Amino acid sequence: MAGILGIYAFEEIWNVSRFLYYGLVAIQTRGEEVSTLAVGNDSAVAKGTADNLDVSPLKGYCGVAGAFTRNEGYYFDDGITVVYDGSIDVSRLVTQIKSGKEVEDCLADLDGAYALLLLKDNVMYAARDPYGIRPLCIGGIGFDMAVISSESSALDVIGAEYSRDIKPGEVVVVDQFYIDSLENKAKQKAVCAFEFVYFSRPDSQVFGKSVHTVRKLIGETLEPHDADAVIGVPETAIPFAMAYASKNGIPVDLGFVRTGRPTRTAIKPTQLERMIGVQLKLNPVRTAVAGKRVVLIDDSVVRGTTLRNTVSLLRRRGAKEVHVRIASPKLIAPCPYGVEVPTKDELIAVDNTEEEISRIVGADSFSYLKVEQLTSLIGMPVCTGCMTGEYPTEQGECCSCQPGSECPVEVSQ
Amino acid sequence: MKFLLVGGGAREHAIAKNAAQYYDVYAAVPYVNPGIARLASYKVVDILNPQKVAEYCDDVSPDLVFIGSEESLFHGVSDEIMKRGHVCIGAKKEAAEIERSKAFMRRLLEKNNIHGSLRFKTFTDADTALRYIDEYAGSIAIKPARQAGGKGVKVIADLQAYLKEEKKDAKKKHAEQIMQEHLSQDLEDQILIEERVEGVEYSLQCFTDGSCVIPLPLVQDHPHAFEEDIGPETGGMGAISGRGTLPFIEDSEYKKSLEIMEQSVQSIKTETGEMYCGVITGQFMLTDKWGPTIIEYYARLGDPEAVNVMNILENFDEVCEGYLTGSLAKVKPRIREVATVVKCVSPKGYPNERGTGRGKKLQIDFEEIHNLGAEVFFGSVYQDTGELYTGGSRAVEIYAEADTIVEAGAIAEKATHCVTSDWKLFHRHDIGSQDLLDKRVRTAQLVRDVYQYRGQHGLIGRNIDWIPGIGKIET
Repeated sequence: MAGILGIYAFEEIWNVSRFLYYGLVAIQTRGEEVSTLAVGNDSAVAKGTADNLDVSPLKGYCGVAGAFTRNEGYYFDDGITVVYDGSIDVSRLVTQIKSGKEVEDCLADLDGAYALLLLKDNVMYAARDPYGIRPLCIGGIGFDMAVISSESSALDVIGAEYSRDIKPGEVVVVDQFYIDSLENKAKQKAVCAFEFVYFSRPDSQVFGKSVHTVRKLIGETLEPHDADAVIGVPETAIPFAMAYASKNGIPVDLGFVRTGRPTRTAIKPTQLERMIGVQLKLNPVRTAVAGKRVVLIDDSVVRGTTLRNTVSLLRRRGAKEVHVRIASPKLIAPCPYGVEVPTKDELIAVDNTEEEISRIVGADSFSYLKVEQLTSLIGMPVCTGCMTGEYPTEQGECCSCQPGSECPVEVSQ
Repeated sequence: MKFLLVGGGAREHAIAKNAAQYYDVYAAVPYVNPGIARLASYKVVDILNPQKVAEYCDDVSPDLVFIGSEESLFHGVSDEIMKRGHVCIGAKKEAAEIERSKAFMRRLLEKNNIHGSLRFKTFTDADTALRYIDEYAGSIAIKPARQAGGKGVKVIADLQAYLKEEKKDAKKKHAEQIMQEHLSQDLEDQILIEERVEGVEYSLQCFTDGSCVIPLPLVQDHPHAFEEDIGPETGGMGAISGRGTLPFIEDSEYKKSLEIMEQSVQSIKTETGEMYCGVITGQFMLTDKWGPTIIEYYARLGDPEAVNVMNILENFDEVCEGYLTGSLAKVKPRIREVATVVKCVSPKGYPNERGTGRGKKLQIDFEEIHNLGAEVFFGSVYQDTGELYTGGSRAVEIYAEADTIVEAGAIAEKATHCVTSDWKLFHRHDIGSQDLLDKRVRTAQLVRDVYQYRGQHGLIGRNIDWIPGIGKIET
């Protein structure tokens, strides 16, 4: 998982490094472990979120940046800079380019599921895989810059205007003197459904659709239950809770207050960090839940451990009933496309029914969004691999690779 | 009757084509334009030299002269021709000041209380301009004070405090660049800084004799070099017009624009004592501050906008007659009821490094373009031993017409593929597309909602601010 951003100024009077920095901060929600920023032939790498980057020494009129969930997804050396969201064989790509093959051709032939930005000889290349699994869009700042980003909110933050999505299979070349679009072998489109459930910011537009609009529809679709208050687990689940509440005529309430800086707990690499994140993030507001029948809404359940913790917290604060609604379908399979879904034996939904999960987490009732509901709400062909085990690429069943390790199964047609 | 044209670009090619239906066309051209060469007797002359042009004029003894190029006007070609007793469509030097000096234009609007004044400041040296930029870090447009073929204009939105320093740097570098590259020998003002406005742009091209203003249909140019309104500013990568109008400009806005132009023409007379006799083009933007707002004036037809209108103006002869007999006010332009799209094909290098795209051989499949129902107008192209070569700027402009802009756009798009070269060429696929039209309609409506709100609350064109410790400031 990663957020990537590239900026190309058409005149050398511009220094884009701070534009990249603030744009990357906007999408650091997509990766909080490692952040990188490269301008010209110089680069900076920081452990942690993008705001840890020191960009003051970097100067140049074009550059790329990335925020990653693990120490992977970027390459800079020998005058070639790559950042990508997804899974590709980056060393193979770089070797091909070094052997003299045109970058456009290398990208046209690139296998995997990816959104990618590459900088070489002051030319910027952007590419999306032929299925369009990972998001990437392009916009501009006045007459001065082209901006390419995983999410449109990065464009907003630096004053760029969104133009369009890069198409599945498309390679866009940005130079001082032209922007070329090369359309290659698009396959049956399959955009990542989880972008709408969790990854993207609600103020973003991804795959040509408003994330917030889809989230509100999901909230309205979740199974109704009579209750006194609806609360969402911050931050992602708040819009689901708002929509659920207004649809079912139940007041929405402020269930939790966060301690410390906002972090995205689900993409933390270790169980301990996730637990710390959730516990810090979730101090229940006693009067919002005490003596009430509460509908608790969360975006997803991976292992169930943090949810169990949350439900018990609500009970200790006096909730009479806790009905859990999950705004995504069951997660039952790994993601071969670069998203850190753990192995099957770590996924609670693989061998437990909703009823069983309800008992495990200590809820009065528990239900997921259905896969068919999600796909119809998104309204375009989606990849639901992690929810169904069925993948759009023709590799079939994926391996059970360890989180953080390279997936040994070749993603290819 | 003889019609003599001054200028040699795609704009003049389009004028020559229309005029050739009625007149024997002669042309004073700076280089041989293959399109004009086919339609007219021509002579290569220095079109900036009034004596040289006037001499050719005396030789030809035309009934009417039409000056296409602004630089000829700035150099007093029109004055010299008229002095020698010829009738000329083309503003005299003093009147053409409306285009040549952006400071003159802004002062004229301000002084005469014409709707659409923008705050501005002029500078005669770099230091003062740089100091001003240092202290006043807002959203501004920085321009060479003298018209430089549309070059050297930089518009910077300065809305994020966290990017202020970067923008200040770029503004200063740009101001320095203007002093280096666009230093004006014939004006005291060198740099003009004006408040930035945003919205939807459109051009209104008019014939005028100084008292009446005869409008042609609205046209919209596309200044960004690349698709989706991304890329550096160019002279225009193509233009569209609907059936006499544009789908995103309302009738009241059109009328207001025309009224602004009528007042401007009147004011030029008051200000300079000259009757403005020629063509005047208002480069407008629909802004949230004013609604219709003048960004720049041209003292001639636009390029590429001339190609759109000259192809559908059905009674150009009557217009010319109006100038000849002093009865322009009675002329009603007859416009063919079609939508038009022009797409410019440029060599790589344009607009920022035109030298690199010069002298590249071009192949054009005229037959196929003709079969598609499109037509080629020659811009920055020259001919050598039967071959066509690029001049570095916009090489050819492809014109197409149809019932709708989208249909015309599709025809022009196909025809652009008939222009090829070993050198990389580019054009904008999206001009005349439904997506881009929809985007314009949305942007125009956003802007319209704000300026109409301002209108209802007596705020149109005004800036009201409240500064802590100082209080309310109203301008």
